[in-house]
Amino acid sequence: MPFWFARGLRRGVVTTRYPARSDGSAAFLPTPPAFRPRQLTRQTADRLVAVCPSMALRRQDDVLIFDVGACTACGRCAEAAPDAVTPSGEFELATTGRSALVKKIPICGGTR
Amino acid sequence: MNPNHGTAGQDTAEVARQLRDKIAAQFGRSLHIRTLDTGSCAVCEQEIRLLSAPHYDLHRLGFFFTPAPRHADLLLATGPMIRAFDLAARKTYEAMPGPKVVVATGACALGGVYRADPFVHGNIGEVLPVDVWIPGCPPSPLALLQGLGVAVGRLAEQTPGLTFVVGDPSRGEA
Repeated sequence: MPFWFARGLRRGVVTTRYPARSDGSAAFLPTPPAFRPRQLTRQTADRLVAVCPSMALRRQDDVLIFDVGACTACGRCAEAAPDAVTPSGEFELATTGRSALVKKIPICGGTR
Repeated sequence: MNPNHGTAGQDTAEVARQLRDKIAAQFGRSLHIRTLDTGSCAVCEQEIRLLSAPHYDLHRLGFFFTPAPRHADLLLATGPMIRAFDLAARKTYEAMPGPKVVVATGACALGGVYRADPFVHGNIGEVLPVDVWIPGCPPSPLALLQGLGVAVGRLAEQTPGLTFVVGDPSRGEA
């Protein structure tokens, strides 16, 4: 609250300029994960699939299929495999085609 | 008849475009939103309510909330589409005058969390013709603003260009 008050006094307005300019608070949003294919093995991928509570992940052979629309950005996959998964920082994800939200992540870490 | 018909038509189109732009600039284009909760946990609604707070101030962009579907241009639907709500959802959609836009909001509306639940459809697209999908659990007000911008054609969608892969995926790929 004091922060917003000071910001309002300093700048006169507290309203974001968002669609025209980026908003600083976007950096603090929980965002869907991004994957490092070199660090992903089939075992890691299966562990991520098992740990995902919203059925956003599934594995087809050497491809991890990530449904961004189903992801709740809970961070459990990043916790399960911190070297292979990091937050993507993307929040502008609205789309007119549902299939555009289904991403194929290659698994390049072998089958170790 | 008129040898200059083609050019005259282009001129008319140009004048019509200028006039349309002028009208749009003069009156502004506003859009009214009706929210529809199809069994959501209410966190999406909290984020939607934040849109009218001073920080996000949805109204500066010409969006307004309306309680009546008959006044609404855009249906902002949240929740996993409970089966008991089918009739109400359909009535709401039919009561809206065209042209109308349906925006599915949140992970459960997009087929995420409750996909296997027998009491819900698990995806709003199974009952309503969805035009724009906004992921997130809940989508932040910024994500909602971007989704509304995409819905009215003011912002470009970025999802098709995103890979959710860190580093170079082409290197080392079999």
